[in-house]
Amino acid sequence: MKYFVTVNGIAHEVDVVERLGELAVKVDGRELDLSYEEVDNLGQVALISGGRSWGVSIEGDEHEVSCNIAGHLYAVAIEDERERAAHAAEREATKGGGTVKSVMPGVVVKLLVQEGAAVEKGQPLLILEAMKMQNEIAAPAAGVVKALHVREREAVASGAKLVTLVAAP
Amino acid sequence: MFKRILVANRGEIALRVIRTCREMGVEPVAIYSDVDRKALHVRMAHSAVALGGSTPRESYLDMDKVIAAAKASGSEAVHPGYGFLSERSAFARKVTEAGLVWIGPPPEAIEAMGDKITSRRNMKKAGVPVVPGLVDPVDDVERALAAAEEIGYPIAIKAAAGGGGKGIRLVRSKDEMATAFRTASGEALASFGDGRVYMERYVDEPRHIEVQVLFDKHGLGVHFGERECSIQRRHQKLIEEAPSVVVDDALRAKMGEIAVRAGAAVGYQNAGTVEFLYSKGEFYFLEMNTRLQVEHPVTEMVYGVDLVREQLRVAAGEPLGYTQGDVLAKKHGWSIEVRINAEDPFNGFVPSIGTIHNLRAPGGPWVRLDAALYRGMEVSLNYDPMLAKLIVWAPDRDAAIERMKRALAELNVGGVRTSAPAALLVLEEERFVRGQFDTHFLNHMDLATPRKGEDVLVAAASAIHRHLLMRRKALRTSDSSRAAWGTRSRASLSPYPAHVAGNGGGQ
Repeated sequence: MKYFVTVNGIAHEVDVVERLGELAVKVDGRELDLSYEEVDNLGQVALISGGRSWGVSIEGDEHEVSCNIAGHLYAVAIEDERERAAHAAEREATKGGGTVKSVMPGVVVKLLVQEGAAVEKGQPLLILEAMKMQNEIAAPAAGVVKALHVREREAVASGAKLVTLVAAP
Repeated sequence: MFKRILVANRGEIALRVIRTCREMGVEPVAIYSDVDRKALHVRMAHSAVALGGSTPRESYLDMDKVIAAAKASGSEAVHPGYGFLSERSAFARKVTEAGLVWIGPPPEAIEAMGDKITSRRNMKKAGVPVVPGLVDPVDDVERALAAAEEIGYPIAIKAAAGGGGKGIRLVRSKDEMATAFRTASGEALASFGDGRVYMERYVDEPRHIEVQVLFDKHGLGVHFGERECSIQRRHQKLIEEAPSVVVDDALRAKMGEIAVRAGAAVGYQNAGTVEFLYSKGEFYFLEMNTRLQVEHPVTEMVYGVDLVREQLRVAAGEPLGYTQGDVLAKKHGWSIEVRINAEDPFNGFVPSIGTIHNLRAPGGPWVRLDAALYRGMEVSLNYDPMLAKLIVWAPDRDAAIERMKRALAELNVGGVRTSAPAALLVLEEERFVRGQFDTHFLNHMDLATPRKGEDVLVAAASAIHRHLLMRRKALRTSDSSRAAWGTRSRASLSPYPAHVAGNGGGQ
């Protein structure tokens, strides 16, 4: 099975082949000598590779994981070939506009724009409060506000859609 | 000494106070909100009183409920910890009026130091150096812009009533002023119910250095040297240490003397911290925190003192029993603290919420973990994101840095993302090791990317993780994702054994 694995923004191709219940792993075409043992079902893994030993922690779902090795954290995105093609098509389709999403769970304190308004790059769209810190969410690019997905005092989850912008006509 | 005291807090600081109480033979009483029924501070206490409610306002911030809990439990005194009601003079007063002992400074001292504007006036009067800036608060944009012209940029805007970095904004030029003022004032209003802010010059290459002081009820006060707290982002501290590389014995004596003078000027009692802004040999009074600080452990490690024990002793009326000379003679070695906050270094340190699992605590020589973490703990937006403090001691700074790196490599807090990996990157940074930094240090750092990364190993491990996950999913009896939620806990108890590279089962 071929996976496209992005580790802290850098892409790698990983091949995982199962033979007689054992896994053989190739990273970027190179075979890796690797022993992977799950310690528990919470994400602790005992990893031995290239003569070195690691207590690794991996958690997440099939698409995104956090990997902690010796105290360092790696943000990892994983796609298989089918998912990779689908994501590329999606990116192509939304070119020229886009939806501003919340990167944190919080409460919308104030909306600073209305639907249909033209905004400049960097113009504050709304104020989001999380952990009692207020953050102005700015327009990533110039455009027109196509849709407001939230109302004032509304609680939003991380990743929730806030505002959809389209390129100015 | 008291027989029983109420610990009016939650989380790691409640547990910190409870631990000292246990060692002193004092019975600690915990309070808890509905969501904290299973919290560690409740389990470790002698007894516990339910406050009801889940938000801080309905529970830990409700003065009458807390005092009623103290009375009902037969407590003689109240320890407020930090945060919540710790710096509310009205609460200190209510505690005293209820016939209880307040383990903290007199309400008058809290008031004299609590409002940053009042405290600046008081300190100027007492001959304590302060940062150039306006003494009067501003409450609208026009006046803020006018005041800014007088002070000169860059300018720091701070909440008149505040703390914890909330409501603070740095403004580098005139164009940024209006936005910064709106958000700072809005935050101040939301957090403290007071939208006034004050403005002062932003000092060049500033270091945040603070002095621990302790006063008994008989007019005697001492200091326990300094803490260096310059490694902060958005004015929230990440790494603290004691002593500071820029403070020698002479400067320590001078800063300490001024800190004690600052406390004495307001009739201070109990433990407190005088914060200074240090720049190129000069130092200015910032504010006084009229409570125990989060980072008090580094002082405890270097001076061999239990500050909570001292707080209880002096609150009970005991004299200090030692002199400034005695304190300084005990100074030994170096200590570093790292704050483990539930925040995501990959997303600009936004709050990270979830359920704590996959917990691995560091240990070994001279490693101290002050936390109230447990597996299954829910990290929500209701409470402060600080989950734990990791503290180490070593004979010198270099050894302390190495020890902290070792301890951080052992630590794993799963279920949420934390600031720990970011702290590890700082400790590996050469400028940090040399001691050359100011409060802007973190602004210029990439806190998400390990420099000598194990990317290939991570890529391989992540792919295997997914591979095993998908195989486990395929083997489930039901492929409905809704049903999978219900079966998840059962499935996780008996994982599909992983057979990898010739090794046996996953257990």
